[in-house]
Amino acid sequence: MLLAMIVAAELPTCEVKRMCADRLARLRSGLDEQQVDAAVLLHGPNVTYATGFVPEAVDASHATYQRALAIVTEDRVRLHAHGRDAHEKTDGLDCEIGAPLWPELDDDTRAVRSALQEVAGDLAGRRIAVDSVTGAMERAGLYDDAQLVDANRVLGPARLIKTTDEVACIERSQFLTEWAMEPAREACVVGATRRDVAGVFLEALRGLGGDHNEIDPIFQPMPRSQRDGPYTASGSVAFPTGVGNPRYQAGDLVWVDSGHGCGGYASDYGRTWIVGREPSAAERSCFDRWLTITRACYDAIRPGVTLGDVARRAVAANGGTRPWLPYFYLAHGVGLESAEMPMIGTDLGEEFDDNFVLAPGMILVLEPVVWDDGVAGYRAEEIVVVTDDGNRILSSFPGYAPFDS
Amino acid sequence: MTESLTVRRRDRVLAAMARRGLDALVLGRADNICYASGMQGLWTAGTRPFGAGCVVIAETRRTHVLSTWDAGLPETMTRADLYPLTWNPQIMARHLAAIDGFAESTLIGVDEVSPSFERAAKRIAPLSDIATADDLMAEVRRVKFDEEIECIDAACKVAWAGADAALEAPRNPAGAAIAAMARAGTTVPSSAPTILRAGDKTIIDLGVLLNGYEGGLGGTFIDGRRRAPPPLVDACRGGAGHTDLADAADGPWLVRGLGLGFEHPVLDPDHGHREVLKAGMVLSVSDGHHRDVIAVTDGPPRILSTRPATHPDSHAPAR
Repeated sequence: MLLAMIVAAELPTCEVKRMCADRLARLRSGLDEQQVDAAVLLHGPNVTYATGFVPEAVDASHATYQRALAIVTEDRVRLHAHGRDAHEKTDGLDCEIGAPLWPELDDDTRAVRSALQEVAGDLAGRRIAVDSVTGAMERAGLYDDAQLVDANRVLGPARLIKTTDEVACIERSQFLTEWAMEPAREACVVGATRRDVAGVFLEALRGLGGDHNEIDPIFQPMPRSQRDGPYTASGSVAFPTGVGNPRYQAGDLVWVDSGHGCGGYASDYGRTWIVGREPSAAERSCFDRWLTITRACYDAIRPGVTLGDVARRAVAANGGTRPWLPYFYLAHGVGLESAEMPMIGTDLGEEFDDNFVLAPGMILVLEPVVWDDGVAGYRAEEIVVVTDDGNRILSSFPGYAPFDS
Repeated sequence: MTESLTVRRRDRVLAAMARRGLDALVLGRADNICYASGMQGLWTAGTRPFGAGCVVIAETRRTHVLSTWDAGLPETMTRADLYPLTWNPQIMARHLAAIDGFAESTLIGVDEVSPSFERAAKRIAPLSDIATADDLMAEVRRVKFDEEIECIDAACKVAWAGADAALEAPRNPAGAAIAAMARAGTTVPSSAPTILRAGDKTIIDLGVLLNGYEGGLGGTFIDGRRRAPPPLVDACRGGAGHTDLADAADGPWLVRGLGLGFEHPVLDPDHGHREVLKAGMVLSVSDGHHRDVIAVTDGPPRILSTRPATHPDSHAPAR
């Protein structure tokens, strides 16, 4: 842990005030470009982007009922937030703070309506960007006379390019996750269960100061052949199912995946572990291929290339077949959400990938999968940020134990 | 969770759909999806944008769930009831159109309103109107089946394992609580853990989801013993209304439904003035730092968040 603290001191730091100001400026230029009069935001990551307030990492039902709401216009930003520590967390933010609102409740729509009118004025005939409209808001007719625009049109382009402060948050999240995974790897032994290992990880994460775990951590023992695993629509291996509490046996190949947030920005950790023994030659060759593919991606990623270019380099490095799970992607972005644009190799199709050009500040989580049916496979994740002349790897923990030792 | 509970929950949803004349119900919220189908997806924190995660069709009485694999499929569903994950809205529209009965719907209920889904639904089911149905789901989930109450009871016991570990941990008490709850049954929190130490007092609030159902507790502990519940807990009886609860409360208070997470009814000083508590509701009752989970009866409430017998709940003196 002491070593972790020393390494942490070397990480780039995030200047919160500057980050908030930069984000708000980008959001406002999005409003301007889309000729939108106001944005009313109820989705946590969007509220964070607009105001700097980071809702607690709680179950979706809790997050939905006690949700934060942000109203943004050309010259005003208002935040309505819940939570025991909402006062402390909103202290110092450059936005107006309103009382908590309950947009899920029919008997709070009057308060929601007045908040909207106070900040944005009469909504009739105006263009309003929204990311969610609750049933209660719809029944109360809050937007009946407004013209609604999907908030993604405003926030999507803004959130795509990260500032150095946003990148620093991701880097710190990744650092915490990687260090907390080390005791979990040591706990992933014969006889332990998925929950035992997850408990060790989550306790270590807390010990390092990580209080924003965003997913039930995945430590899934994989079948050796697709035939032995759950059915999938694509005929490929199923991951991550999040089902059950398997007890590990000697030789289990365990795919690991988890993510945590710093300032709301997510990490994404992926590795493959083996329980109770060293990898076999066949397993090691899957890893070697994975490394070749990942290095080919590193070589390809720079401003000006398309997502399609990166995909083709990865396919070539894998001998002509696609090295990723068909229902996911070769790579995805990460930021205030654990999977966001840009995504490479999805069923949006090759034309989409060929029209999407990488630019500095975009983030890619590379997650190639090498599958050798009968042997199983290797999967790990690495985060890179596109820089002015190439890319920089944001993961700081060395190695792919037990495969590279 | 048994298959018969899955069936009884789904039947409640179908009966409520019939009362409103809904041909199809499209659910995006994880808790609603679990209630209607029995499928539990991987837990992630925070709000989610609306998407068609589950479709219930009145005519066929079948539930259809967005899932690429059949891991976790309840016996009440078959692989044919699944439609796989896609990033492409056009492919998603084809999947929905292929669901038996969806394209002929004239009234489609949704648990959240999304202009883009509304446009897509109009293309798939040209004769359809869209109606809000978040309140339909809130209504059917309000009163629990007995088996649901036992699920919540079990989840409360897991939360207590966390509280006991936190009280004994010399450092990183939140981490110790999380690890203990993992050993006792779940790694999924419902709310953010609170553990504050001040002198001889420890303030704790923990919430978990076990097999989808929430459990939790909160309180001020002195020498490892929790202070006695405030009068608000006992006031939560069948027939009680807002005034009864407001009169009984001491500090800042919140009484809200608890089941597959945060539910209706919701009462606090400013909300729920027309709510009346009913036997069979399960509530999270907070007054100041104290929080109990109770099942409403027509007599005194059944407190589900009582300390398990292995650690007798010998109360510290009341405030």
